[in-house]
Amino acid sequence: MDITLLSALLVVVLFGLLLSGLWVGFALLAVGMVAMELASSAPMGAVFARRIWGAMTGWDLTALPMFIWMGEILFRSRLSSDMFAGMAPLTRRLPGGLLHVNVFGCALFACVSGSSAATTATVGRMSLPELRARGYDPGMAIGTLAGAGTFGFLIPPSLILIVYGAATEQSIARLFLAGVGPGLLLAVLFSGYVMIWSRLNRHRMPAPEPAPGWRERLRALGLLAPTILLIVGVIGSIYAGLASPTEAAVIGVAGALTIAGLTGGLDRASFLASLKGAALTSCMIAFILAGASFLTVAMGFTGIPRTLAAWIGEQGLSQFGLLAVLLLFFIVIGCFLDGISIVVLTTSVILPMVIAAGIDPIWFGIFLVLVVEMSQITPPVGFNLFVIQSISGRNIFEVAWYALPFFLLLVLATAIIALFPEIALWLPSTMMSN
Amino acid sequence: QNWDMPTPYGDGIFHTQNIMQFAEDVAEATEGRLNITVHSANSLFGHAEIRDAVRDGLVPIGEFLLSRLANEDPIFALDSIPFLASSYDDAERLWAASREAVTDRLAEQGLTVLYAVPWPGQSLYLRREITDPAEMAGLSFRAYNVATERLAQLLGATPTQVEETDVPTAFSTGRVEAMITSPSTGANAQAWDFTSHYIDTQAWLPKNIVVVNTDAFEALSEEDQAAILAAAEEAETRGWEMSRAETAEKIAELEAGGMIVSQPSEALAARLQEIGETMTSEWEASAGPEGAAVVEAYRNQ
Amino acid sequence: MRKALETLYGAALAGTCIALATIALLVFLQVSGRALDQVLVALGQPRLGLSVPSLAEIGGYLSGVAAFLALGPALRSASHIRVTLVLRAFGPRGDRIATALVLLVALGLALFMVRAMGAQALTSYQRGSMSYGMLPVSLWIPQGLMVLGLAIFVLALLDELVTLIRRGTAPFRDIERNREITEGGH
Ligand code: NA
Ligand code: NA
Repeated sequence: MDITLLSALLVVVLFGLLLSGLWVGFALLAVGMVAMELASSAPMGAVFARRIWGAMTGWDLTALPMFIWMGEILFRSRLSSDMFAGMAPLTRRLPGGLLHVNVFGCALFACVSGSSAATTATVGRMSLPELRARGYDPGMAIGTLAGAGTFGFLIPPSLILIVYGAATEQSIARLFLAGVGPGLLLAVLFSGYVMIWSRLNRHRMPAPEPAPGWRERLRALGLLAPTILLIVGVIGSIYAGLASPTEAAVIGVAGALTIAGLTGGLDRASFLASLKGAALTSCMIAFILAGASFLTVAMGFTGIPRTLAAWIGEQGLSQFGLLAVLLLFFIVIGCFLDGISIVVLTTSVILPMVIAAGIDPIWFGIFLVLVVEMSQITPPVGFNLFVIQSISGRNIFEVAWYALPFFLLLVLATAIIALFPEIALWLPSTMMSN
Repeated sequence: QNWDMPTPYGDGIFHTQNIMQFAEDVAEATEGRLNITVHSANSLFGHAEIRDAVRDGLVPIGEFLLSRLANEDPIFALDSIPFLASSYDDAERLWAASREAVTDRLAEQGLTVLYAVPWPGQSLYLRREITDPAEMAGLSFRAYNVATERLAQLLGATPTQVEETDVPTAFSTGRVEAMITSPSTGANAQAWDFTSHYIDTQAWLPKNIVVVNTDAFEALSEEDQAAILAAAEEAETRGWEMSRAETAEKIAELEAGGMIVSQPSEALAARLQEIGETMTSEWEASAGPEGAAVVEAYRNQ
Repeated sequence: MRKALETLYGAALAGTCIALATIALLVFLQVSGRALDQVLVALGQPRLGLSVPSLAEIGGYLSGVAAFLALGPALRSASHIRVTLVLRAFGPRGDRIATALVLLVALGLALFMVRAMGAQALTSYQRGSMSYGMLPVSLWIPQGLMVLGLAIFVLALLDELVTLIRRGTAPFRDIERNREITEGGH
């Protein structure tokens, strides 16, 4: 079957199934089955089983339920409301107030979590209900979470950079360092946007908190202390050589349990409820991951991403032209495939042309991460959208609409690091001796 | 006809490059009747799934590290015994002696062996100089399978499990202090970013093997089968040459990266030789008379 | 019958919880072993090197089993994500028909999954397939548990469909609609 026709057909089938209300995991599976049926003679059931078995039992994946569990414990303990009560007086003068919590919270959490779904789920579980209770604009609360949740991939550790580094023989240590600058740039862009938005939309902001006295300020710091301790503890466990980034998630669970136990916010019932909540949420994400994983292998068999990428290579574009076309290409396929799949399916074809165009492969890794981050918040297939639908009850298209400004900021950030590659490359060049 | 071929390693690795050449040779020799699409770097199936994917006919052909199958049969672990065959000439003789046994075991699984190519010798990567084997005591040493765990134990080091993707982080945060891997893997991972010393032990030369599903293979015309076998033979010769050339090249790369490259001290070499003998006899005990016969044949060549 | 089904779903969810708690416990032991070694090294003592063999493989298997065992319970609690945007435009009758159709398609796909994964587990059993790591694990055990989770998922889908046909409403859809009223609307 002609590849253009096949691609168009698959897009139509995917949209049709999703809009008719089929569960996302099943919809992805069904599209994969259609693709396999039309474009490959490999036995579909066996390919499905083999791929799912491999994909769903990866060690990296264990961090996801652990982080979600940590979020559930914190959500059920007093910690998350304490944290917000503590932060409220401190962010009083900042335009945008507590809306920045999503940006900073995700940036901090991204220092421990390598995936954006875990970052979004854990931070959002605490921040969305709190922001809503405090009268913040729900669209803005959701948008900042969707956008900032993507930091999980850019700020080290990062699953995407590990996959890219392993496939392209680039130093993972350097890639990690290269993500730091662009991560900060994004945080600044997001926060700046929040400030400007809140100045332009004063009527949609809650009434400012009363000015705190010194006692309140001290009390606020006291309320924040356990959270700070927990975050420092988890990040510290990685850098002290006690835990791998995957294992650090369990340090988070242990720390959350300890704090919740000490502050008296956790009894047997809420412990079990947190575990059940984590079981259901991580199962929901895993089911979609399973569908996405089968769609990925089906795409590998059809050769669609490969062919499209190779076609771009044949156009003989200039460096910036190539990057612009690749950006567009990734944004479009990023609507339908999840981030890691895109990297896995296309780097083999794209990297040689990128290197031939004189583009630094470390820099290109960061470019890819930014593109993958965009794919997390574009409908219909975007993991941050699914996670936020699950937390907030808003459907993915609505969430995607709220996230649109942050998507555009990601595009802006990509343009900025294309013009100033040092933002990514300076840190690895100074920190690494050779 | 198109054959999808999953492989575990990236495009920059010489094994993958050799496979690309093999695919081209096959397409040429069969006049385009058989095209092999190489899906490198685990992009179609992960390394752990490739053998079964070929065995079950999900894909007709694939590549994997032979010693990954060590838990199934000791014969697959033979090329991972330290210092049994620690030069290319020895490794070649060991492969000649064991090829039949390996081929037979894989044939029982419906797999036809096309060829096997070794990695350069496995050598030590450390964060400090070690001359006395006693200095290995208590060092946390990366172990990723039974053989490397045993090696670490016999060295007196503490075997430490670290996933491959976690290696740079594990070294830079101090969770692991030593590992043993080929100069290719080390140079490609830019080991100088997280280790400082390379001791050229060349302890063993583990092989990647390329297998084809026997049913898929026999469904081809005899002419095409012969073309594949001829291309495979060339790929094996070429791969071994690439591997040999790679050893010196990648060690030079490690040195250029800033690593201190050295030969094992006499004391360390002697201790390693001893460990090799221990592990060989342990292997012979587990592999029974059939295994002992293979080692015997290798030694008598 | 109802009681037996609810017990089954409860047991499956409990299985997931146990698997997750086991991962946490194993990782915690691993990290504790490392912490102990750091203390020993600081005191000038040799490392003990206590560790959980094949933690990465076993942790991976546990998380796969955890995810699959909860599939059915997650359906019952309407935790799985789908787009109900279009459905909201339908009247009660349209909603019933659409829900029945979606359940039917899902049932077919879930049967495909259970058959495919079941065949794989059976093959692993017949071949005696083993894991690669230091502690060889028979692969049919985790694979079989994943199939069990899928089978419960099939049962849960069937259960919803039958209830929908008999009573005119599917329990998961009721939860969804409640949520739409309390959370989704402005
Ligand atoms: Na991260
Ligand atoms: Na997307």
